[in-house]
Amino acid sequence: MGVFILKRLGYMIVTMFAVSVLVFLLLEISPGTVATKVLGAFSTEEQRRLWLEANGYFDPLLTRYFTWLGNVLSGDFGESIRFKVPVGDILWPRLINTAILGGTALAVIVPLSLGLGVLAGMREGSRSDRVISITSIITTSIPEFASAVFFSAVFVFWLKWLPGTSGMAEGFNFKELILPVLVLVIYDFGYVTRMTRSSMAEVMMTPYIRTAILKGLPRNQVVTNHAIRNALIGPFTIIMLQINWLLSGVIVVEFFFAYKGFGAVLLEASLNQDIYLIEACAMVAVVVAVVTQTITDIIYTQLNPRIRFA
Amino acid sequence: MLRGRVDRREFLRTATLLGMSASAAYGIAGKLTRGDLIPSANAQFITGLPKGNFGGTLRVSMRVQPMTDPATFDWTEMSNVARQFLEYLFITGPDNLTRPHLCRRWAVSRDLKTWTLFLQQGVKWTNGDEFGADDVLFNFKRWLDPKTGSSNQSLFTAMTTSAPTGRLGKDGKSLISTTMSPGAIEKIDNYTVRLHLNRGELSLPESLYNYPTAIVHHRFEDEGGDLSKNPVGTGPFRLTEFKVGEKAVLQKRKDYWGGEPYLDNIVYVDHGDNAGASLAALASDQVDLVYETPVEQIDVVDRIPNARLFETVTAQTAVARMQVDKKPFVDPRVRTAVRLCQDHEQLLLLAHRARGVAAEDHHVAPVHPDYVSMAAPAQNYRLAKQLLTEAGFANGLDLKIDCRKDPPWEVSLAQALAEMCKPVDIQIKINVMPNAQYSENWDKTPFGLTAWTHRPLGFMVPNLAYRSGAQWNETHYSNPEYDRILDQASSTLEVDKRKQYMVQLQKILQKDAVIAQPFWRSIFAAGNKRVQGYELHPSVYHRLNKVWLA
Repeated sequence: MGVFILKRLGYMIVTMFAVSVLVFLLLEISPGTVATKVLGAFSTEEQRRLWLEANGYFDPLLTRYFTWLGNVLSGDFGESIRFKVPVGDILWPRLINTAILGGTALAVIVPLSLGLGVLAGMREGSRSDRVISITSIITTSIPEFASAVFFSAVFVFWLKWLPGTSGMAEGFNFKELILPVLVLVIYDFGYVTRMTRSSMAEVMMTPYIRTAILKGLPRNQVVTNHAIRNALIGPFTIIMLQINWLLSGVIVVEFFFAYKGFGAVLLEASLNQDIYLIEACAMVAVVVAVVTQTITDIIYTQLNPRIRFA
Repeated sequence: MLRGRVDRREFLRTATLLGMSASAAYGIAGKLTRGDLIPSANAQFITGLPKGNFGGTLRVSMRVQPMTDPATFDWTEMSNVARQFLEYLFITGPDNLTRPHLCRRWAVSRDLKTWTLFLQQGVKWTNGDEFGADDVLFNFKRWLDPKTGSSNQSLFTAMTTSAPTGRLGKDGKSLISTTMSPGAIEKIDNYTVRLHLNRGELSLPESLYNYPTAIVHHRFEDEGGDLSKNPVGTGPFRLTEFKVGEKAVLQKRKDYWGGEPYLDNIVYVDHGDNAGASLAALASDQVDLVYETPVEQIDVVDRIPNARLFETVTAQTAVARMQVDKKPFVDPRVRTAVRLCQDHEQLLLLAHRARGVAAEDHHVAPVHPDYVSMAAPAQNYRLAKQLLTEAGFANGLDLKIDCRKDPPWEVSLAQALAEMCKPVDIQIKINVMPNAQYSENWDKTPFGLTAWTHRPLGFMVPNLAYRSGAQWNETHYSNPEYDRILDQASSTLEVDKRKQYMVQLQKILQKDAVIAQPFWRSIFAAGNKRVQGYELHPSVYHRLNKVWLA
């Protein structure tokens, strides 16, 4: 396993390097744009030139890239152009906020969708299967921006039960977390439920389950002792992939509810060509993707001993 | 004023421009017209108003943007946080009238080239220092230094000199450096400074309330040059907490020289660029006031209990401007044909819910004191078609207009204009660009829809946008006759005389058809009914020391 983790670490470093070069190239090809964003559209050409000069934008691309890389290796991600503070001051609190949002959403999604998926898959074609399947398909097909508007209209403007935004301006408030989590859960649980259901249904059709049933084992015992463990291998991969989605795919939800998370900061950095902040966000996204993939592979082996590390 | 040649507003402006104190000018105006001494519209901007309630926290939904250096502010939102603790030499109120502030009065020469500013005495910075001439000198020098990167340099061109640097730019052209003219500012004593301008400048007081002209302490740079980290100011509040993109908290100064503010605290909360989030926050009582509410959402406000809509007519607009040196707009008949296709009232209705005033294609607004009413330009397809035929486009003309994605009403306007041009076979393709991309392109595209913000006097935008070679002359329009009359208008103090020049400018620009200008728009801000004493400024400037909560 040690070799496997080392390999993954190497893979992660190469990916990070490639991504950082790509982002740098994409964003740095028009340095004039950066100066306009910092000084405003009405700044003079001379003012923009002086700003670019003072901030090292006239140095060769390689010099700039390796200066940035050297700083990153020493723990300095640079200063955000948009926020005018060190990147770390923005990034880490936002990452924690998204972890809270994503973690809460996952804490609801995982038991809910696994439970419903198993329930539906246990008796394929039954009434409960149909109800769960149809509900899952409907909720998954409603985009987040639509459900966010709907829930906001109902719970904020009509019933007045919940706060309309989730900026946590007066400190952490669980009530402000409810609507964004609800939107994420509604959008995502159906997908995981469907995956669990099909995996469960497949397992329930296997000869060893049929044997277990025919030899007279109680159905709940068959399900809990023999079916679920095997049925979870497929959904587990899906659940781990949701972590990546919850990191940067929640932009819509964070934007709609003014939640101060990673997705919102990535959106703002991108719109403002905030190169150092985008680079840092990209690096974090790569790390999370590779780490979750590695964890998935390790747990795979635990769930299914036939799988071995390559 | 009694004869009706000047209105009350212009009387007050001219009186204060000639050095009369604002309160004295108000007194005379009130006696002459037997009206209120001080219009309620200026509640937040002047002293001596009916008593409000002391105490409470006003929560405002607005972007909390970086606030490093006021001289480089490029968004009003930045200045709104800073405006609670930094102050300006002058203040232009919601009524478009400019009054002295940190400068208690001023004297100006007849040629408007020499301005003597007499500063308030006894004004204390939050660090205990006394405000004085050194602070004003320091700020002017910074603004006019190209290294600062301040847009104020373009605002005070009458105080700058341009010269070649001896270096060549990427395009091979000689680089020009613009710096403060020698002797442009002079310290007379600790509370008096004198400005020596290269040319007469009537709008200097108005320019000194442009949002990047907030006065910082003269040790601003020595103490780090970062306002958010070292918020030293003379204003009615002090900054106690600041997190970019999240919130800004301000606490009142009981010892404020202009009188104790009503509110104990102001909290600006950042809800991002989603206007819907701001309204949701208002509906769920998370905030009391919203910075600005888009016209598309004003109906929502009516449905929120305890909410009200603040509205003001402004000189904000969007113009479909054509570059006169780019084909096919080189031909004035083409430009005129586009202009004649407009039904201004319909465009106002279609793009802005009829909230605003129809414009007349000359970029001087009815809210300007020097505006002269003209006959509304009528839609005339017959003449438009005839001009197009004469210009060689009898079979039609294909155009592309660039416009930005936000705000949505600008796209709606481009679409409505395109539809109105179809009957004369002008097919306009609308190129909607992301705002960031558009801001790179706004002055380069041959045909674009450009939004212009409010300015208090009628000749201010023409000086920036239609004077030959002006920095923001996006149409590349150059008319010596227009420039000459603009010079005269810009240096004429008496408003009735200035109007004679303004009407000529209006006619020339309308005839030359460099812009199709559909309307002047109203702006809106939603707030809770408990918010009292707040008036929406046409530039959405906040000054909240006279606002209170019922």
